[in-house]
Order: sequence, then structure tokens, then C-alpha cells
Amino acid sequence: MMMKTRGKAFSLLLVLCMLVSLTACGKSKNTGADAIQTSASADTKENTASDTSDTAIDTSEHVTVKFVILGDKPTNGRLEAMLEELNKKLTEKVNAELELYYVEWADWQTQYNLLLASGDSTIDLIGTATDWLDAWPNAKKGAFLELTEDMLKTYAPITYESVSSEHWDMCRYNGNIYLIPEDNYTQWTNHGFMYRGDWAKQFGLTDGIHSFEELGRYFQGIKDNYPDVIPWDAAASGQAFGAQLSGGYIQSNTNTLFIDGLDVPIFYGASKEDPFTLVAPIMEGQEFIDFAKMMKEWSDAGYWREDVLNYTGDTREEFYAGQTGADQHHTQTYYTTVRPQMDIKQPGSEVQFFSFSEPSKNLMKLVITHGAAAVGANSQHPERALMVYDLLRNDEEIYRLLNYGIEGTDYIITEEGKLDHPEGYDDSTDRLDSNFWYGRNDNLELDNITWYEGKDEIFANYDSYAIDYPYSQLVFETDDIASYMANMSDVYTSYITSIAFGKSGDPEQAVADFRKAMKDAGYDEVYKLLQEQLTAYKEYLGK
Amino acid sequence: MKKKKAAGYGRQLTFWQKVYKYRVLLLMCLPAIIFFLIFSYIPMPGAYIAFTNFNYAKGIFRSQFIGLDNFKFLFTSGKITMLTRNTLLYNLAFILFGNTLQIFVAILLNEIRSKYFKKITQTLMFLPYFISAVLVGLLVYNLLNYDYGFVNSIIKALGKTPVKVYANKYIWPFILVLVNLWQQTGYGSIVYFAAIMGIDAEMVEASRVDGANAFQKIRYIILPSLKPTIIILLLFAMGGILKGNFGLFYNIIGPANSMLFPSTDIIETYVFRTMMNNFNFTQSSAVGLYQSVFGFAVVMLCNWVVKRIDSEYALF
Repeated sequence: MMMKTRGKAFSLLLVLCMLVSLTACGKSKNTGADAIQTSASADTKENTASDTSDTAIDTSEHVTVKFVILGDKPTNGRLEAMLEELNKKLTEKVNAELELYYVEWADWQTQYNLLLASGDSTIDLIGTATDWLDAWPNAKKGAFLELTEDMLKTYAPITYESVSSEHWDMCRYNGNIYLIPEDNYTQWTNHGFMYRGDWAKQFGLTDGIHSFEELGRYFQGIKDNYPDVIPWDAAASGQAFGAQLSGGYIQSNTNTLFIDGLDVPIFYGASKEDPFTLVAPIMEGQEFIDFAKMMKEWSDAGYWREDVLNYTGDTREEFYAGQTGADQHHTQTYYTTVRPQMDIKQPGSEVQFFSFSEPSKNLMKLVITHGAAAVGANSQHPERALMVYDLLRNDEEIYRLLNYGIEGTDYIITEEGKLDHPEGYDDSTDRLDSNFWYGRNDNLELDNITWYEGKDEIFANYDSYAIDYPYSQLVFETDDIASYMANMSDVYTSYITSIAFGKSGDPEQAVADFRKAMKDAGYDEVYKLLQEQLTAYKEYLGK
Repeated sequence: MKKKKAAGYGRQLTFWQKVYKYRVLLLMCLPAIIFFLIFSYIPMPGAYIAFTNFNYAKGIFRSQFIGLDNFKFLFTSGKITMLTRNTLLYNLAFILFGNTLQIFVAILLNEIRSKYFKKITQTLMFLPYFISAVLVGLLVYNLLNYDYGFVNSIIKALGKTPVKVYANKYIWPFILVLVNLWQQTGYGSIVYFAAIMGIDAEMVEASRVDGANAFQKIRYIILPSLKPTIIILLLFAMGGILKGNFGLFYNIIGPANSMLFPSTDIIETYVFRTMMNNFNFTQSSAVGLYQSVFGFAVVMLCNWVVKRIDSEYALF
């Protein structure tokens, strides 16, 4: 009898244990629902905030402002040391501290959009961009809080003043401001290939590379002279190379102007003389077929590994190690990172940059929302978030802390007032990596002595032919064609990478198949509707 | 004591009386019930997303209802047919080849006399089951890639032309089935081996007295005794016939090599790609819902067929 009750009690205990562990699971699952509910309370908070804006701002409650940024979280301890200092200052000034939330580069597009889709109420500031981080689609989907001018005036006064009203207009969707633009920072992020100048010379390309044909000759040179080096060891698995290469080829060979911010990156304005006629060179004409053929030749010639589509290595590290001859990225990466690094790791390599804009002189200046900050739709402290942002962007002391770190250990200022690093600093291990790309400010930026000194020349060259982006205030309304766009996006992503690496059999056939599939997915309807909106935009601009 | 028992048998128990009577059994069921409630039933209304034009801010139920629009392209593009075909055929191959090999291996194990050899064999065959799909993907890449792969290095060393495995969509069904067999056989054979161990020793003994040789013993004693186990396991497998092995396919094929998709894309990988690469929640839910409904129909059909043949073996 005794045994039996004990047995029973034991089994009961077991069942209870299982139950408890289950409910523990259940709890953590619930946060999604909580987040949705809090959106209502955030709204009311905002109202009360603007009511009290006349009186002094109440900062009695100490809050933590969470800022979502892109990049791999650094592990060398320098970021934490900087944040400690920074948070002392922020607490002093606005009784708040900053927490950086890194969306890491592995699968960043997925992670970033999922994070925003979750409506997490602990997110206060979000780093975003209209061209590379889906700012407009996310604004449309309701991921960002609407920023009233009152709010901006009250809580981010310096920023509000410094951004011109035209620039604010570029951050409006349906008349409401959603983004704070990084509009006072010079950079070039046009894509192209970084290649070794010493090798190019050796292969007879004494003048450097200025076209896709010459790039091909450079790759062939590597093939002939360095049998152990893969000319461009691209890792295409899960990367956007398909879009970058095909887009680059079109930029190189036509005068079309790429339009940002659509789920399917295939639409262009016809030319700078006629920017309001919508064209899609990928869908018609000869360029894309030529591209497909050329890439097929390159692929057959072995300029990248045969299994490029399944390869996931780190091309840049291979470039640094001299195992590959090229790296595809943008100008900024070239002069801030790759060139200085290569000068150290492969002395004499004289790395050069072939910009896709070079052959056709077809280049648009960066939009001011290439970096932008937004406030999370469900943020608990939108006011304080803006106050912190205002300081990060405009307060010299805080700006330097955030961007350069602690003076003396992370950076030093030379006698000429330029930025340098202290003795013994190794950029590959000691970087601060605070990745504040959403409100940099030329007024507070220091000239970096470690950057490639040839950058001014490159800038001057770009400035000589670049035009302003003509579509900065254009936000396509795609709700009615969302399902077509989704279908096209599906077709696009499944074809483009294999065409761009010459891995889809006969190139002409592949392009024909691709075009047919795009049409079946609803290309014609999408084209028609977007053209209508582009025409309307033209009228809106009064042209 | 006696009296109470008699009363219990005499009349029908009401619902609550039954609950009280079987309280311990019910309590033991509770974790499973709660598990399925939380992870299967509560999220179910979310499938509604497949019929909407989803907006993050409005949420699932306040987004605009658009009927079957999300399904349209899947059917018109023939995508759904391809995905269903691939998922079904792969699973059929896994189930049929898998179970055959598992039974075969279980019988072989049973015939091994040396105890240590038997244990070692079993353990070694079991090992691949514990290797994560990510590593399996890497292993396959390192074995088969064109430039530096193990297989192609040998082929090159022999002076032959290497094979472009990652460009040939016809090879992959074989590779995937092989990899699946390699991973699952050891684990699956345990079940059959246990069933064989459970066969009445007297029967085996009797057959030996009657002069049956090893093959006759397998043919007339072991295989018939395994029949119930085989049928139950097959039926369970049928229930998941439209559920693909995501880890295996995604890690081996990857998200970019669309040349291989016609013969390797299964529902799970498609859903993952559309959602994670294109953030197309609605389309991926549409496919997910289709999978559930179709899978449900398949299970019901299988069960019905089995019931007609022999109701003993039916699941419910």
C-alpha cells in the first residue's frame, strides 16, 4: 500500500514537472501578443507628450534607449568601454542610456525585416535606409512611428533645425515624416570591383580597368599567370551578387537611372534627359542578353569556382591573403577599408577600384536617406529616443565617443586636427565598430589619416559627372500590385543569381525563360501601374 | 470495497464521473494536450494570413481580406504541382527505401553472433543520425564540389574529367536519398531490431527443429512477425508524407542554386525562401496552409484505405 501511494506521488510529481516546463515555454511565446497591445499605449503616450511640450521636458525616469543597427557585434571590449563613458554623459544630459542592438551580417536582410515585423516594443531607434534597408516598405507596413514636427522640434531641436525643409519632405510618406535623414555626410557607395593594380599592370592593363571587357582580361591574366588563384572567388550562396552584377552591367552599358525602393530591383528611368519614362533593361533589349552571354563565358573560363552558387566563404579575407584577385563592393569600402588593409597585408598590391559607373559616366549621387534613423512604432520612450539621437548626431563630445571611441586608446587627433590611431592599434582587431551610419555629420567628422589618400581624386572624378537622384521623394504605392510584385520577386531571385554567374545553361534561352516567367508573374501590370505613378510624380514636381 | 465496484459496473458513468475516475491518466495526458494546444491549435487562426494582404501594423486580422489571390500564382505558375511532386516523391523514396533497408539491416544484425561486433556495428550505424544537417551539407559540399571536392580530386588524379555535380539536377535525387539513408538507417533499424528481439523464441526454436535454414527462418518466421510493426510504421510515415526534411534539403542545396530547384525544391524550402528572402509572409503561409490541408487529406485517405483492408491496423 505504502509503495503504491509513493509510486503515485512520484508519477504526479513527474507530470507536474512536465507541466511547469511547458508553461515556461508558453510564457516566452506570448511576447508577440504583448507587443501588439502596447502599440495602442504608445500612441496615448505620444499624445500626452505633445501636450506637455510647452513645459520643461520630464526626464525624471531613467530609461534605456535601444538602437537597432547593422553589423557584427564587436568582441574586443572597446565598444563596451566606450558605451560606459557615453552612457555617463547621456545620463548626465538626458537621464538615458544607449544600448546598441546589432543585426549581424549573416542573413541580415532576413533578420532585420523579421525584427521589425515582430513589432518589438523594446526597440526605440532603428537605423534604416531607403535604398538598402527597405525603409519605405517598412514604413508602409507600419514598423516606424510617425514623427510629428512638434515632436522633432521639441525633442530633437538641433537635428530639426539642421535638416532643410526640402530634406524633411524627402522623408515623408503620405505627408508624415518617418525618417531622419543622414543628409550632411559625404560618401560614395556606388558598386564596382576592387582589383590589384600590380597584377593589372603585369597583364598589360597599364591604365587600369575601365570596363567589363577589361575586367575580363584581368581575370584571364590571373588565370594564365597565377594558376593557384581564383580570379574572383565569389561566395554567391545567400548573397545579392546577382542583382549587383546585372545592375552594374546595365549601369556600365546604358544611361538608365536605377530607381530604389522596390521589392524587385529591375526598374529604371530611361535616361537623365528623360527620367520619367520607366524602363526595365533586364526585361527588354540586348544588354541583359549580352550580360548573360559574357557571364557564361567568364564562368566557362573559370573566373570563379564552378560551385560558386553553393560556396559560402569570405572573399575579402581571401583577397587580403592573396588567394583571389578581386572583391566586389562599393567605393566607401574601397577607400576606408580594403585599400588601407591591402597596403598593409599585400604591400605593393596597389589595389584599384573599377566603378560600374566608369564606362558610361552614369552615376547618381547618394540619396540622403542612404542612412536614416526612425523611431520604433511600439517604442515605449519615443521622446527620449529622439533626445538621445539629437545628442548622438550633434553633440561633439558624444559624437566622437560614439564614432571614434575613447581618445587616447581608440583614436588620437594629430596636430593638423586629423584623426589617427594610437601606436600599436591594429585595425583588423581593434576596431570600435559602433556602426553609426544613420546620422553622421560632416561638421563633426574628422579627416581620417588611415583612409586611402587618393579618395579626394575619386570624389572629384565622380563629382564631375554624377547627377542628383531624381526620385528622392518618390514612394511607389504598391499595395494593389503587391501579389504581382511578390511573384516577380520570387521569379527574380530564383533566376538572377544563376544567370549572373553563367550557371543557367544557354544564356539566350535562360534570359528568354526568365523574361517569360516575369511576364507570367504579372510584369506588365506592374510596369503599367508604376509608369502611371512615375508620370504622376513628374507632374507633382511640375516638370 | 466490493460493493462500490459492483455499483461502478452497473450504470453508465457521467462525463465528470469519468473524469474523476481516470484523473491520473488524464493528468498524465495533460502535458501533451497543453503542448498541442499551444503549438498547434492556438496558432491555427494565424493561417488566416494566407487570405490577406498583410500589413505589419494592422496585424493579421485587421489586414485587408483578399480571398484566394495569394494562391493564384502558385497554381498558375505550376509551382505548387512541382513542389507537391517533389515532396511526395522524395518522401515516398525515403519511406520505401528507408524501411526496406532498415528491415534488412535489422535482420542482418540479428544474425550476427559475436556480441561485441554487433554492438560496435550498431553504434557506428547510429552515429550519422546525430550529425547536424548543417554539417551534412558541408560534408556533401566538400565531397562533391568541382574545384577541390574529394570525389573530383580522385577523378582528376586518375586523369579523367571531373563531374559538375552542382550543375546537374538529375543527380541530386539520388544523392539526397543516399544521404537520407545514410543518416536514418541506423536509427530506424533499432525499432525493427527490437521487434525481432520480441519474437517468441519458441517459434524460432520450433522452426529450427523442423529443419528450416536461415533463409527459411527469415522468410517464414521473422518477416511475418514484423508485419504489424511494418504497417504501423508505414502508416505513421504516411501521415507526414507532405512534410519535407527541411534541414537536409536546405543545407545541401542552399538558397541560391536555382538550377537544382526543379528537382530538389520541396514545400519547406520554398516556404522558407519566400519568407526569409522576400518577406512574403502571405505567399509562404498560403503554401503552408495548402501543405496542411493536403497532408490532412492524405492521412484520412490512407486511414480509410487501411480500414477497408483490415480495421485492426487503422490509426483511428
